Amino acid sequence: MLRRTPMTTASDAAPPAGKTEATGAPPVFVARGLCKSYGSGDATVHALRDLDLDILQGEFVVLLGPSGSGKSTLLNILGGLDAPTSGRAAWRDHELTGADEAALTAYRRDHVGFVFQFYNLIPSLTARENVELVAEIARDPMRPEEALALVGLSHRLDHFPGQLSGGEQQRVAVARAIVKRPDALLCDEPTGALDVETGKLVLSAIARANREVGATTVVITHNAAIAGMADRVLRMGGGRIVATERNARRLAPEELVW
Amino acid sequence: MSVLDRKLLRDFWALRGQVLTIALLIGAGVAVLVMSVSSFLSLRAAQQSFYAESRFAEVFAEVKRAPRTLLARVAEIPGVAVVEGRVGGEARVDWPGAEVPVAGRVLSLPVSGEQPALNRLRLLAGRLPEPSRHDEAAIHAAFAEAWRMRPGDEVAVILNGRRERFRIVGIAHSPEFVFTSRPGSPLPDDRGFVVLWANEEAVARAFDMQGAFTEAVLTLAPGASEAAVIAELDRVLLPWGGRGAYGRRDQPSHRFLEDELAEQRTLAVTVPLVFFGIAAFLLNVVLGRMVEAQRDQIAALKALGYPPFPIATHYAKFVAAICLLGSALGIAAGAWMGAGMLGNYRPFFRFPELPYLLPVWLPLLAAVASFAVALLGVLAALRRILRLPAAEGLRPARPSAFVGGAAGDVGRRLGARARIPLRGLLGRPLRTLLTVFGIALAVPMVVLGLFWWDAMDSMVELQFDRIERGDAFVALTDPRPARAVREMARLPGVLAAEGQRIVPVRIRAAQRSRLLAVTGLPAGAELRVPRDADLRPVPIPRDGIALSRRLAERLGVRAGDIVQVEVLEGARRVHDLPVAALVEDIIGFTALMEIGALNRLMREDDLVSHVALRVDPLAAEALWRHLAERPRVAATNVKAVWLRVFDEVIAGLVLTSAVTLTCFGIIIAVGVVYNSARVALQERGWEMASLRVLGFTRREVARILLAELAVAVLVAVPLGLVLAQWFVGLILGARDNESFDVPPAISTATFATAALVVLGAALASAVVVRRRIDRLDLVAALKARD
Ligand SMILES: Nc1ncnc2c1ncn2[C@@H]1O[C@H](COP(=O)(O)OP(=O)(O)OP(=O)(O)O)[C@@H](O)[C@H]1O
Ligand SMILES: [Mg+2]
Repeated sequence: MLRRTPMTTASDAAPPAGKTEATGAPPVFVARGLCKSYGSGDATVHALRDLDLDILQGEFVVLLGPSGSGKSTLLNILGGLDAPTSGRAAWRDHELTGADEAALTAYRRDHVGFVFQFYNLIPSLTARENVELVAEIARDPMRPEEALALVGLSHRLDHFPGQLSGGEQQRVAVARAIVKRPDALLCDEPTGALDVETGKLVLSAIARANREVGATTVVITHNAAIAGMADRVLRMGGGRIVATERNARRLAPEELVW
Repeated sequence: MSVLDRKLLRDFWALRGQVLTIALLIGAGVAVLVMSVSSFLSLRAAQQSFYAESRFAEVFAEVKRAPRTLLARVAEIPGVAVVEGRVGGEARVDWPGAEVPVAGRVLSLPVSGEQPALNRLRLLAGRLPEPSRHDEAAIHAAFAEAWRMRPGDEVAVILNGRRERFRIVGIAHSPEFVFTSRPGSPLPDDRGFVVLWANEEAVARAFDMQGAFTEAVLTLAPGASEAAVIAELDRVLLPWGGRGAYGRRDQPSHRFLEDELAEQRTLAVTVPLVFFGIAAFLLNVVLGRMVEAQRDQIAALKALGYPPFPIATHYAKFVAAICLLGSALGIAAGAWMGAGMLGNYRPFFRFPELPYLLPVWLPLLAAVASFAVALLGVLAALRRILRLPAAEGLRPARPSAFVGGAAGDVGRRLGARARIPLRGLLGRPLRTLLTVFGIALAVPMVVLGLFWWDAMDSMVELQFDRIERGDAFVALTDPRPARAVREMARLPGVLAAEGQRIVPVRIRAAQRSRLLAVTGLPAGAELRVPRDADLRPVPIPRDGIALSRRLAERLGVRAGDIVQVEVLEGARRVHDLPVAALVEDIIGFTALMEIGALNRLMREDDLVSHVALRVDPLAAEALWRHLAERPRVAATNVKAVWLRVFDEVIAGLVLTSAVTLTCFGIIIAVGVVYNSARVALQERGWEMASLRVLGFTRREVARILLAELAVAVLVAVPLGLVLAQWFVGLILGARDNESFDVPPAISTATFATAALVVLGAALASAVVVRRRIDRLDLVAALKARD
């Protein structure tokens, strides 16, 4: 069950809307005054407006919000793929804003696992090889087979993406994201292209990774039902975090009602 | 402008790098086509108009001495249209500026003072000699230009050992001397070779030929058989010392011109095909990719009710636009190169006019040909557009299905990163094969450009270091007793002298026959050393005749076979001689005998007609001056001068072709590598951006993407080297040029340079694409495919 907290708006709340009260775990992601805008003059689009956010070690955060509210923009900045127009973002002691391309690449390589809506697998590599590809460049990876077992794909190791269903491909993508034992697992609409049942399989793979690898996890979704899995649910609107909800108990994916 | 046309322009701009590289390939093909066809046509037109205007003879015959009255009998031979007799002889010109004696010919003009009936002169300046004046002469334009002579200048000429002075009254071109060179040399030497025309009485008196002729030239009646006329002419002239009549095919100037025309024709057909073929392949890949990427757009247009044909036309227009750009570049370059080519020809081929002709149909033909080949290349892609069901586009994009197969098993033991390029190569074997082959073709282009230096080097090496080891070669006015050699050996500056006897013959084997000269050499000759294919000296056969390998091939004989040798001098006997050995040669065709055996064949004493000399370089100049004065010396050929002329004439030509062909090689290598890399990036940019997101560095991603091409290039270069060797053999084999042979020797340096040029071009293309990899938009890659 969701425990609803009263809605606060980002503009008037004393502590920034995304911030949590101290709960023991240290914040790993810190964002302050993040702004991101495209274009100039009348045509300026503000994807993020003065956004503040703390995400704690090992936390499972779900980002909800209408299309165009800035979710992907925020995730991409946290993942070191994009730079804000102003404000700052940091991962532990790594400043993400102002870091050069090489530093951001190293950051992604060492700390971040990504899962995307369109899987983004290499079609000429098998499931195992797709996972192995990332294991090859990781510091302390699991065995690829182990990662694939975590997402329940031990029986499809040597299949090419073209021979796998969408859900299976997405689970390969999850395995690929967790094989390096990432500190952060960032997922942008991982179930966006999947049906309910398949979506649940993928979500449980992500939840399991969050639990067993201890990766701080951020999942973007349009499906409010998924919010039940989270420690905390952030609602975005117009480039800001407009509401924060905290779940007393995280639901297992199987328990979710879509 | 229709909306589709606007899309065309945007696509064109977005793909400008690929558009340009492919247009350059097409341009190179068009350029070669335009250049070689236009210079062929220009030469051909100049030749035809000059031959017609000057009434160039069709059959030529030389005779020792025949009475003028015999000409009436010749005119009666069935098939003869016009016949003219004249007196011709060797002339030596004592020209103050020339460091070596100037060799040449003098020919008689009709007594009337009119133009001859055949082989008329085209006067550039001045007039013909007056009939009453025996001290006037017209001179060939090549020599006149080389020495800046004007009408009114005087020359001292040694005719038949006597010194005469002529006043030059006219400067002329002649159809017989469009190409002039010293006898036996394949290169023009304008400063060292001269042709003079003087009144018949003057020439006849000089050679004691009053009332006689030594040369008959004639034209054939329409439909007459040249062979029949020649046979009959030979019969008529035989008692008078006929040396065997021959047609235009064997006329030196004509043959050289025809050889060159044939080479241009070969060039016009072969080289453009290579370029068009590669361009067609690249267009196939690039357009195929474009259609693949725009599949959904095409389907959507179809779903909206757009008929398929205009959509296909839209893509065909894209190809047409590339061809148009390429053709425009190619036509401009081709016209420029063609005009330059003609400029190169001018010192070789002396026509009164050699205008550059570029008929309007030629650029059109070139453009249409390039478009036709390009369309052939994109046929598959266009068909796909016509057939693509509209429903296809409404389905969501699916990642391309790679289901392994044979390629799937490859590289299990390699890391995942190495497997991507490996499977890329093996997953599309046909495209890989064509890419490798395309890059490989760049190598022979460069090799063909650089190879001529090697060829010239080895020609000079073989002919002038190994075979002809003397420094000078003296022709005597007529055969002299062997004592003449000993006399010459005693001249100051002469280190060694060897006599030779050179006799004109006709050699027959079965149905084939050739006119050439047999050289008699003393056994153990050191100044002329015949060599076999391994360049080992071949002892001069005591019996029989040694033939040049190239000649033996043309006659279809081997060592041990019997050939019939008809001596065309003196008592014109026919002998059957065994082919004792085959020897190598480069220029002309060699036939060798032991000098004693040759003289016995002629039933003559120990006679020599030529003397080879080894000369002390310090005393050389004085010696040349002395030889120029000596009465019985007809001509002196000096090796050093020949080599310098060779360098002057050839070096520029070779440099031009080397630069052009190297550029072509670079265009091919860049065209194939750049386009392959760009298409790979278009197809896999999304994959590569995904890898970047996963934490792969730019360098790692570039490596994965470009490794495929690196492998292709590394396979292509050695393949290209093999192809180059093969092409050179093929081209030289197809080159049916009898004037001189080009040895297919390619130096290691040429191979290495060609390989480096192609590797460099590939690397440069890769660097350009690498910059695009660095700019991959990571965020965009996550949104959706393509
Ligand atoms: N490259 C860009 N150029 C211009 N505007 C952009 C660009 N990328 C994003 N935007 C704008 O920024 C805003 C936020 O985009 P973002 O992708 O973060 O939204 P989102 O919340 O992820 O939406 P969705 O749920 O549809 O994925 C949108 O209004 C979008 O139009
Ligand atoms: Mg988004």
